Amino acid sequence: MVLNQASLKRDGVKDYVSLRATAIILTLYTLFILGFFLVTPEVTYDVWKALFSGLLMKAFTLLTLACIAVHTKIGLWQVLTDYVKNAALRGVLQFLLYTLAFGYVAVGLFVLWGV
Amino acid sequence: MFFALVFVIWAWAVSLSSPEGFEQVKLVLQSFIAKFIAWGTITVLLYHMIGGIRHLIMDMGHWEELKSGNLSAVITIVLWIVLAVLTGVWLWF
Repeated sequence: MVLNQASLKRDGVKDYVSLRATAIILTLYTLFILGFFLVTPEVTYDVWKALFSGLLMKAFTLLTLACIAVHTKIGLWQVLTDYVKNAALRGVLQFLLYTLAFGYVAVGLFVLWGV
Repeated sequence: MFFALVFVIWAWAVSLSSPEGFEQVKLVLQSFIAKFIAWGTITVLLYHMIGGIRHLIMDMGHWEELKSGNLSAVITIVLWIVLAVLTGVWLWF
């Protein structure tokens, strides 16, 4: 069996691990945001802006957006290969969905840039 | 959930852009339909997360027999419904 580590292609093990690794980061971020809303008595503009102006929070948010893209890409691939048997349709759907996923990261990056 | 992110990122981007943007999002979020979309998104995410955590535990070799698998599935759904109701209370009251 030729183990091709040089290629960027995904294999089952990478998908399996990446899905779960990104899930953990996403869960941590979700709990963090939940904690913020529970702890903060009243979320005003200043409080909200302050939350996202710290460098660490910006990095964490961008990391989360990237993890969403990876988690979604793998998850949606699994869903599409299960349910959409027509290769052409599946290809178009994958293109649209992955472009949208990248769009989220791009928008998020420029939002964070401006804070 | 993936498409609901469009609303989430829109609200996040606008609310961060300016005080007026923040007020606009706050205003939009008063309406029933916006709260319902928020509730739906949060509830679906909760189910996805609880189910995911259950999967992580199962990956470690637990809950693989019929009885334990079934029990953990029932607990997942019960926990989800409880949190969904709590989310509803939080959003509307």
